[in-house]
Amino acid sequence: MEKDDGPSMEDQLELVARAFVDHYYYLFDNNRPSLSSLYHQTSLLTFEGQKIQGTENIASKLSQLPFQHCKHFISTMDCQSSPCAGGIIVFVSGSLQLQGEEHQLRFSQMFQLIPTQQGSFFVQNDIFRLNYG
Amino acid sequence: MDPDAVAKAFVEHYYSTFDTTRAGLANLYQDTSMLTFEGEKIQGSQSIVSKLTSLPFQQCKHNITTVDCQPSGPAGGMLVFVSGNLQLAGEQHALKFSQMFHLMPTPQGSFFVLNDIFRLNYA
Repeated sequence: MEKDDGPSMEDQLELVARAFVDHYYYLFDNNRPSLSSLYHQTSLLTFEGQKIQGTENIASKLSQLPFQHCKHFISTMDCQSSPCAGGIIVFVSGSLQLQGEEHQLRFSQMFQLIPTQQGSFFVQNDIFRLNYG
Repeated sequence: MDPDAVAKAFVEHYYSTFDTTRAGLANLYQDTSMLTFEGEKIQGSQSIVSKLTSLPFQQCKHNITTVDCQPSGPAGGMLVFVSGNLQLAGEQHALKFSQMFHLMPTPQGSFFVLNDIFRLNYA
């Protein structure tokens, strides 16, 4: 039997995924240009069906979205380990409040996070979809 | 073959199997497969199929609204992100859902589901 000396692998995965998600949406809502630090040249974003590749193009797309201020509220976060180089798959659902808009938009988003040599993670895959009522 | 076409073909096969012969989903999963269904984590083909066949409805129909896919890495895997609605027999309103699959190639030239996450989208 294992000693109870800390979080299980699964708990650790959950902690890492949660920390990443919180960081990602914090940057998105407060300092959108700095999201570029989370993507690499190989990164892929599909945003409402539009396919974009690479840090520059992705950062460009996100900074050109037709709203200045927004706030993400996370309802659910699920994660699983991916066999790709110790990666983590994260599946998020929540709502997006745009400044000046009365009603929040609901969205789902999935990420595949890949570890970096420095011990953090970058977003290799990112797919975003609004959930219309 | 065009990845988008592969993803679309897989999704159609998956949901038509789900909606007609749910137990047939067994050959789309392997021992390493992981399913998170509304937050509940299940591993391995047997346990996964057991969960899916014991869901509290007999008949259902998935109607797919969007399918997005991206290659997941050098192993030839594909990430597929689906949204749609789920009509249960006898229920007036369809349930909205999102689901993601991570498909990995098999030696026989098809795909199996390694990662599967399902969430209902409540209004």
